[in-house]
Amino acid sequence: MTDDIRLKVQIEREEAAVVICPSGRIDGSNVDVLEKTIDEQISAGEKALIFDFTDLNYISSAGLRVLLVTARRMQQGEGRTLFCALAEHIATIFEISGFKSILQVCETRNDALAAL
Amino acid sequence: MACKRRVSLDIVLENGNSAGMDRILEISLAPNLDSLGDLARRIEQFVAERGLGDDLGHRLNLTLDELVTNSISYSLPEVAEPDIRLRLDVEGDAVVAVLEDNGAPFNPFEEAKEPDTTLGINERQIGGLGVFFVKQLADARNYERDGGRNRITLRYRIGGQDQ
Repeated sequence: MTDDIRLKVQIEREEAAVVICPSGRIDGSNVDVLEKTIDEQISAGEKALIFDFTDLNYISSAGLRVLLVTARRMQQGEGRTLFCALAEHIATIFEISGFKSILQVCETRNDALAAL
Repeated sequence: MACKRRVSLDIVLENGNSAGMDRILEISLAPNLDSLGDLARRIEQFVAERGLGDDLGHRLNLTLDELVTNSISYSLPEVAEPDIRLRLDVEGDAVVAVLEDNGAPFNPFEEAKEPDTTLGINERQIGGLGVFFVKQLADARNYERDGGRNRITLRYRIGGQDQ
């Protein structure tokens, strides 16, 4: 469960995509941090974003809203957005919200890279 | 009052009408979103100490975060002395959460619009998910307006959701 109540967002660059790795929690108090990081990547013209949730413990609807908006923006710019390494309880939230069927979710980062 | 008080860090309040109830945790939250992390920590501690399981922990965490976020964002901003508090009790085979604030009347279960989770990425509405999660993840819910306060009561079955 949540050891760290803060959110940190790390960016890693793969050859074919930028990988956004949030760790800790995404909630209404800190989602702007994630939003800003994403904005920077989209503004820089990135065409493929992978969200690697390996170190993410928690996400609320405030965070999901940003993910949805991001995927929509990327799609409008002919870009791709993929999600990988969801903990079981986060996968459940994706399922309940219906996000699982509108967002592209992969098991691992390698799977996501291969799916580009 | 046959009470077992486990937490005294914040505010443990006496409440005359809770006779027979196993009073466990009552916390007062700072009325800003920075208290969400603290809320999560308290809930996790509550769940861990009682061995209630990760699944229930996740359900409590998400649903209470969503309702507290709503309350702080929509119900309390106009209130001069905002007050928001949460009580968690174990009653029989369930955890009962009571969330109260002194904000503007708002019944999230009536007034929040229901998202259509079958729509495609471009048609999907952005809002409404938080309350939807509460409807999905709590086994019973009730809203009442009482003495100038909003009170939401939620019930979560221990060991898995009601089918």
